[in-house]
Amino acid sequence: MERATVIEQLTPVFRKIFNAPELEITDEMTANDVEGWDSLSHMLLIADVETAFSIKFKLKELNKMRNVGDMIEIILSKA
Amino acid sequence: MVFTSVNFILFFAAVIVLYFSAPLKWRWLVLLVASYFFYINIKPVFAILLAAVTASTYVFTRLMDQTRKESRKNVYKVINIILVLLPLFFFKYFAVINNSLIAGLQGWGIHWPLPEIELFLPVGISFYTFMAIGYTIDVFNEETPAEKHPGIVALFISFFPLILSGPIERAGNMLPQFRNPVNPDYDKVVKGLRFMLWGFFMKLVVADRIGIYVDAVYHNIPNHNGTTLLAAFFLYPFQVYADLGGYSLVAIGVAGILGIKVMDNFRRPFFAATMAEFWRRWHMSLITWLTDYVYTPISFALRQYKLWGIVYSLMITFMISGIWHAASLTFVAWGLLQGIYLSVEALTNKQRANMEKKYKLANRGWYIFLSCLITFILFGISQVFARSANLQDAFQVLGKIVTEPGALFIGAPSILIFSILGISMVMLKDFTDEYYPGRFLLFENRNKPVRVMAYSLVIVLILLIGVFDGGEFIYFQF
Amino acid sequence: MAGSLFIFNSDGMLKKLFINFLLVAAVVAVLDFALGKVLRHFYFRESSGLHYRTTYSMEKADADILIFGSSRANHHYVPEVFADSLGLTFYNTGRDGNGIFYQAALLKSVLKRYTPKVIILDYAGDFGKGRQVYDNLSSLLPYYQSHPEIRQEVNLRSPYESVKLLSGIYPYNSQLLTIAVGNLDMNKKRKSDNKGYVPLETEHPVVKEYFNSLIQQPVDSNKIESLREFVRVAKASGTRFVVVYSPLYQEHKRYWEIEICETICKEAGVPFWDYSRDSFFVQQPDLYYDPVHLNHKGALIFSKQIASRMRDVLH
Repeated sequence: MERATVIEQLTPVFRKIFNAPELEITDEMTANDVEGWDSLSHMLLIADVETAFSIKFKLKELNKMRNVGDMIEIILSKA
Repeated sequence: MVFTSVNFILFFAAVIVLYFSAPLKWRWLVLLVASYFFYINIKPVFAILLAAVTASTYVFTRLMDQTRKESRKNVYKVINIILVLLPLFFFKYFAVINNSLIAGLQGWGIHWPLPEIELFLPVGISFYTFMAIGYTIDVFNEETPAEKHPGIVALFISFFPLILSGPIERAGNMLPQFRNPVNPDYDKVVKGLRFMLWGFFMKLVVADRIGIYVDAVYHNIPNHNGTTLLAAFFLYPFQVYADLGGYSLVAIGVAGILGIKVMDNFRRPFFAATMAEFWRRWHMSLITWLTDYVYTPISFALRQYKLWGIVYSLMITFMISGIWHAASLTFVAWGLLQGIYLSVEALTNKQRANMEKKYKLANRGWYIFLSCLITFILFGISQVFARSANLQDAFQVLGKIVTEPGALFIGAPSILIFSILGISMVMLKDFTDEYYPGRFLLFENRNKPVRVMAYSLVIVLILLIGVFDGGEFIYFQF
Repeated sequence: MAGSLFIFNSDGMLKKLFINFLLVAAVVAVLDFALGKVLRHFYFRESSGLHYRTTYSMEKADADILIFGSSRANHHYVPEVFADSLGLTFYNTGRDGNGIFYQAALLKSVLKRYTPKVIILDYAGDFGKGRQVYDNLSSLLPYYQSHPEIRQEVNLRSPYESVKLLSGIYPYNSQLLTIAVGNLDMNKKRKSDNKGYVPLETEHPVVKEYFNSLIQQPVDSNKIESLREFVRVAKASGTRFVVVYSPLYQEHKRYWEIEICETICKEAGVPFWDYSRDSFFVQQPDLYYDPVHLNHKGALIFSKQIASRMRDVLH
């Protein structure tokens, strides 16, 4: 899978979870940058991302995700 | 020795001299000896337990690092967690479980010859146990490599500013600082001293003063009316904030003067507009610990259940938080309430967000104030359970508040007057820090005379209205 | 860098810290001195209330009969009864919450000035490890500098008390409002007193029982020593000295506390009048304000009994 495709598929998931129809994701983006992204919504995001890409994350991978860029890398390694 | 004692000041002064006289590579030893001296001073026999927990943690983290196989590593992780939790369970919960068992059996007409036990809780055990467990899990997750130097591990678990009541720190933050101690610069030392001064103010002037009133009321619930109980209801959260918050500040300040950076524990908690935000500002070291080591793994395992998985994880996490505080039903109820608050908020998140957008409420002063007030009241309700000796008392308090108004019990007027004065000062500082950061600075003012007068006036206030007769810190039994 | 004494390779940091420390300390010292003087002035200008009564007891009382003790002394011994019965002047130095240390210190201050004809110690009976009696020594802090005879007792409060008392403000800690109010005329009515005696209202809800534990608690040797000291000093002054245990609503179960007092009194040859289990007073709800304090009605009856016994002793 290509990076651009990942971003394309990831964006609507983010928009839905955080109720932000205009949201554009970037590599450096973290929870601090998005309204409503906290430890509660994080797991909802993860679940939806897994469904969208038909993958399963490991807990260890979750801990290593510092920003959206990391998330994309991990998705790429699995998809 | 408590922080707010002359003995501690003398001890700390001695530690400073010894610490900064020592060469950098022996600084860890000075701190380790000081920490064990500090702990032994409280109760010598429990230092053995502390050492045992340390030894176990050291051994199993090293073993984990040397194993390739994931399943083996997991075994080591689990063994250490169990070993380290055993003393905590034994001291904290055994007495309760044992006595409940005896009572239960008696109810069935069985008289089991089990002794009823009265155990002294090793001071700080809840805190250092959590630090040890956190470290163990971090090594398993490869967040941090296992520390090879046993002295550094021992220091991490016993570090005297933190051992009694936190903040609950992480190996990733502390181990490197202990390995490579730095000399703090002038600003860091002054900052540490400022924290200590304000922490002492919060504890001695505010927390201990409020405590006199709240203790008197809760000691005699049947004889106090709803109005008095309501006053205690509003005062108690401030007492806990000033107590634990003040104590944390002293701990952070003490560490800072030694050149060690420790995380913040409180961030103006009463300016939270929701319970979710409250828990990002209150006892932050505990909540981030629980989030990282309890909530995240559980909610991850339950993520396919979406919101209901979150609700379940919240309930479990806060129940654990409750019983971590104390082995009593009141704290189970406390945890339950926190879980319910956060679950309801999570479930109604979208609706609230839509309502706020529709009526453009988000930046309205009165809406923010109302939200903070409601959050405060919700927290206050849970604190009635925390403060009450048992569930009946808690329900009686809440019931009377609603049904039995009356004349306010005042006792000695100075107690309430000084309490309100103290609360106002703390809240004023928090208010300006929250909404006007960088302005109205006193301790950090650019003008030296202003700073000097501010320090002096705070010291004078402590002398004038601080409580000096052994107001014991609430979290010590943890 | 060999991490030697970093003060020698610092950028004058230690010097800067030291100077600033000194600066703040100097400002604090000045404020402390000034405020201390103001507080002291107004404390000793109080004309009513607890502070006034303690000052009066220590520095002015010259009655023939003095009663020492805690709240039980303060609320149980009615001046008129003794004055009428014995034709002697009477002052009640009892003070709520203040135990044997306070009483011993007060005794020393009084005896420095004169020797009363009669001294009655209402023995409060608490020899446990509780801190309250130590904490309540704060009542004596304002007198520490000018009354060297009380320092032994006050120093029991903590090993650093003498250091803390270098501060001008510390003796008046938490007393700011009380001092202010004590200077007001209206307080004389609010806290009126009758030669130190404070009557407890007779109209009171049902007297509840209290937990009267039979389990022997560890005793505090400081308190025992202090009682010994009181007895010794009182006896040596040549006054007529009696120790009394005033009545309780419930028959007293902590026998070991009474025994300690009995022993001390016997050793010193001092009469000990024990009303802790007196059948007249036990379980009489209309004589009590609470399980451990008589109300005014009960105090009158009790005072009459003590006064008449006293009369026999004096003749």
